[in-house]
Amino acid sequence: MQFHAFDGPYLERLCSGDFSTEQHFVDYFSELIRLKLRSRVRSPQALEDLRQETFVRVFATLRSPARIRQPERLGAFVNSVCNNVLREHYRASARDTSVEDEDTDNLSDTSGDVLTFLTRKELDEQVHLILEDLSERDRRLLREIFLEERSKDAVCQAFGVDRDYLRVLLHRAKQSFKSLYLKSIGRKVRRTAVDQEG
Amino acid sequence: MNHEEATQLMASERYLLGELAPDLREQFEEHFFECQECAFDLRAGNAFIAHTKSVLSAPVHATAVPAEHRAPTGRWLGWLRPAFAFPALAILLAVIGYQNLVSFPQLKKTVAAANSPQILASISLLSSNSRGSNLPSATVRPGEPLLLFIDVPPGSNFHSFVAQLLSSDGAPQWSLTIPAESIKDTLSIRIPPQPRPGTYTLVVRGADGSSSEVARYRFELQFQN
Repeated sequence: MQFHAFDGPYLERLCSGDFSTEQHFVDYFSELIRLKLRSRVRSPQALEDLRQETFVRVFATLRSPARIRQPERLGAFVNSVCNNVLREHYRASARDTSVEDEDTDNLSDTSGDVLTFLTRKELDEQVHLILEDLSERDRRLLREIFLEERSKDAVCQAFGVDRDYLRVLLHRAKQSFKSLYLKSIGRKVRRTAVDQEG
Repeated sequence: MNHEEATQLMASERYLLGELAPDLREQFEEHFFECQECAFDLRAGNAFIAHTKSVLSAPVHATAVPAEHRAPTGRWLGWLRPAFAFPALAILLAVIGYQNLVSFPQLKKTVAAANSPQILASISLLSSNSRGSNLPSATVRPGEPLLLFIDVPPGSNFHSFVAQLLSSDGAPQWSLTIPAESIKDTLSIRIPPQPRPGTYTLVVRGADGSSSEVARYRFELQFQN
């Protein structure tokens, strides 16, 4: 699987303000930051504020004389900045402890263009096919865990399965989904490059 | 946590299910911010969950799988769906019932009647080829045939003749081809059961292009109650 290399030239372009590199950087780490923060921050607005603050600080550092020199540490740097922003948020507001069954935001793309709509529809259809291949019991299991958000322990007990079963079920379904998801990400990256060239 | 440890632990799935202890969670977060493969794996898992919620919460018609993704059933197999199969089955049963209860018994009765000897009502029209004669009549039970006796006048050079029965309103009921050699003797024609009583006319014509009338016979058919 080929990924975008966070190498020296990438870091140079990022520090020099290259738009497409900045877009890629923000898109890539935004989702990881959201995943990290959603179990710690209840409010969607607060989550977005923390995400933006993280990027503000990251770009400020990248364009300062004290910028990072090791491109392979770029991800760790973003994570570190995010941790600092989060600590300050805890100090400034009531602490939100991470609870296993806390409501999580739907992190699906909310942009409204046609390509995004078609991609979302395509992914929905792929998931529908994956779900159809599952047994009725497994479909109900996923429904109760992810849609109805019941306690995972209670659901596993009701279905007579353990947490390993649930984990493996998710793993297999995810593996089936990955190839189409990879294509959709690739399409989005190409779309961004085309928009930037235009 | 390195990549191998994350993979063996199924860290992506545990992370998404909220099963990692706080310290392991932080270790995995440090890792996936640096490891693109684990980051992609986590994003794919998260997207799968998000789309699963979308699919499971949508109304049935909204998540219908496109025709091209459905398991191929073949055009003719599509007719086996309940919406088509049940009405078709009901119609089939109705047809079978009608045939067994009505059509076949009637056919059997007709065949039995045809194979059995029976006395038929008859009319001799030998002297009635004239508009001035008294009208011959016969009485039959409804649904019973009638026997007609006629003499076709000789002297014509037709190779064959056509006899046509007309009802009282002039509507043709049937036609019968008569070979020329048959008219040497008296003809006995079995008239099939007629639907109603009344005055009927049997017209005999030459079977050539001119259709010249050779003879005309009128008779009265009455039904026995």
